[in-house]
Amino acid sequence: MKKISLVLVLLLSFSLCLWAGGEKEAGAATGGVVVDAWEIPFLNVLTGPIASIGEYLQWGAERAAQEINAAGGIAGKPVKVLRIDTGMSPEQGTVEMSKLVNSALVVMGPVPEPVIMAAVPIAADEGLYSFTATTSFEYAEPYFPWAVSWFAPTDERLPAIVTAWSDRVGAKKVVQFVENYGPWPGMARAHAIGLKDAGAQVLSDVEVPQDAITFGPLVVKALEQKPDAIIFACNAEKTAKIIMELKNRGWTDMAKLLVFSSADDAALYTTGGDKINGVMIYNYSDPDLNTPRWNAFRQAFKDDHNGIEPFSLSPNYYDAVYMIKRAIEETGVTGDRKKLAAERILIRDYVNEIQNFEGLQYNWSNAGGYPKDKPLFLFRIEGGKKVLEAKIIPD
Amino acid sequence: MSLTLFYFLGIAAIYILMSWAIYIPYRMGQLHFMTVANMAISAYFAAVATLSWGWPFWLVLIAGTLLGALIGWIASFAIGDAPCFAVVIVGFTLIYLTKTIIENTEALGGPLGIFSIPKIIEGTSAANRHVILIIVYLLVLLVGYLIYRMDHSRLGRAASSIFIDRELATTFGVNVKKMGMFLQTFGSAIGGMSGVMYLFIMRAISPNHFTFHLIGVCMTMLFVGGYTTQWGVLIAAPLLWGIPLILPESVQSWKIVIYGVLLISVLVVKPEGFITRPFLSKISHRIQKILFKKVEDKI
Repeated sequence: MKKISLVLVLLLSFSLCLWAGGEKEAGAATGGVVVDAWEIPFLNVLTGPIASIGEYLQWGAERAAQEINAAGGIAGKPVKVLRIDTGMSPEQGTVEMSKLVNSALVVMGPVPEPVIMAAVPIAADEGLYSFTATTSFEYAEPYFPWAVSWFAPTDERLPAIVTAWSDRVGAKKVVQFVENYGPWPGMARAHAIGLKDAGAQVLSDVEVPQDAITFGPLVVKALEQKPDAIIFACNAEKTAKIIMELKNRGWTDMAKLLVFSSADDAALYTTGGDKINGVMIYNYSDPDLNTPRWNAFRQAFKDDHNGIEPFSLSPNYYDAVYMIKRAIEETGVTGDRKKLAAERILIRDYVNEIQNFEGLQYNWSNAGGYPKDKPLFLFRIEGGKKVLEAKIIPD
Repeated sequence: MSLTLFYFLGIAAIYILMSWAIYIPYRMGQLHFMTVANMAISAYFAAVATLSWGWPFWLVLIAGTLLGALIGWIASFAIGDAPCFAVVIVGFTLIYLTKTIIENTEALGGPLGIFSIPKIIEGTSAANRHVILIIVYLLVLLVGYLIYRMDHSRLGRAASSIFIDRELATTFGVNVKKMGMFLQTFGSAIGGMSGVMYLFIMRAISPNHFTFHLIGVCMTMLFVGGYTTQWGVLIAAPLLWGIPLILPESVQSWKIVIYGVLLISVLVVKPEGFITRPFLSKISHRIQKILFKKVEDKI
């Protein structure tokens, strides 16, 4: 009987906590900044299968907050990035987002796509602006103007880099390995547009199953079409294994292999080793950029991660915190809870049209909630490092 | 009602329904994971019926439930009396197939999923949430009542006898195949119903919602709550779903460890879960004793 009572008391406590959490009311204040500190919630994935990526993103956001605080904060008040873990669960993401809709000025995240799909509609419905800074345009666009995309539409940004690669290596007949996950098939379609623009023939895609273990039959299927160049739109480990399989079957012209940005992570280099030397890869950041700000970021990241280089999405939430700072300061947001709805709109409208934002890697401007002038970088892989071949700004 | 409470209660109801969908066939020892595929199929069906065909919510709910039942019934011709392991394999296979078909079908949104599901009533979002919550808990009551009636009927006793010893149950005249077909169809119908309600609670859907992770969560709720009665999940679902949500920020990174320790502790102390049949009869006797004593005192 005692146990039943205990369980009932616990249930009641949960309900009361959640109820109370959702009904907080704003404190009264007028004019000027009224908050003691700016709290920016970050719906991240800190546990589960991609927790390491979440940690890198969190690190970037918190580093930006540290830098900003050391330089006097946002409008004179310190900023704190709140760690909120969704565990990659859409259900948990919805509840965590729902806790924020009555109180947060903006929200960073969520990460990754399944949680975005579940949680961003709630924020959009309730007029809360989401910084979906790691996903592709297609996931953020349905929630415009209440979400910002860090990337231009896939069909606008990717063809140019593929055309540049195709022209550079003289690709004539190209096959793609495509894994059916999230935005990847859409990226493969954009690659095909770039190939056509370059005058190359696009052969039938080879689908890479998500649970693929052996890659010989897939490689045979691709080689049967007699391609002279190949693009990879599958995960890093699978890409490395397919390249190794291709080499075993006599493929020699490594520059005619192009790896897409989503496969640019540690597994590609650790699995592929020296066998991926000469392979081309495209991405959105240049690790060898030589600016004091990037060098400091890069060194700090390596110091905190046993010498590992920052991965390509590392700057995204670092930049997001700075973008929020600029939006607050430029629009005169006060943090007054009574003006919450109006101040959310101020930030939303400012960020959706932000001009000449000084990002960690480069400056960019938004129009209609997404960037128009972000560059892409084409690299050649040598000895586990990327060597810059070309910088492309899509029209 | 706060938005947080709505999502907490709404998703807790879905977990209760889904755990019951697994509980029902497990009454005769079959782990029927096909219910997750039923959930996905009916949820996608509901999304298409609402957005493309303009069907009203009630029609979608009934059709989604019947669709789940139909798929479960057809499959049960093959696996109605199959051993647990075979039923598990068929369930996994169907989940995988469903997910692959959805991911490769443009009309279903492919890997992106389907967005912007409309509200079920005209009016404010808050009113819509209230109505959804009332409907989903009415469904929980309805399904709970049906399971209670089944558990306390000849069907329930026949299922228990199959769970304990198939051969022995057959000698009692229990038709194992028919019983399996009935329980699997019932479970699949609830899976389908859960899918439709899940869609209207979340108002967006993607193939990533329906993974093996969902099986793990529902299994945990069933086995921690107690797999020998229907009541365990009523406590385990809100508790296990709620605990990770109220942990403070400072222990977020330890969430899985805390969760794991909690589960292991419960399973070590109560291997059959929280609510077992002896536990229920003990409570029942105590209540009777108290009531009897009161009547005796009055006399």
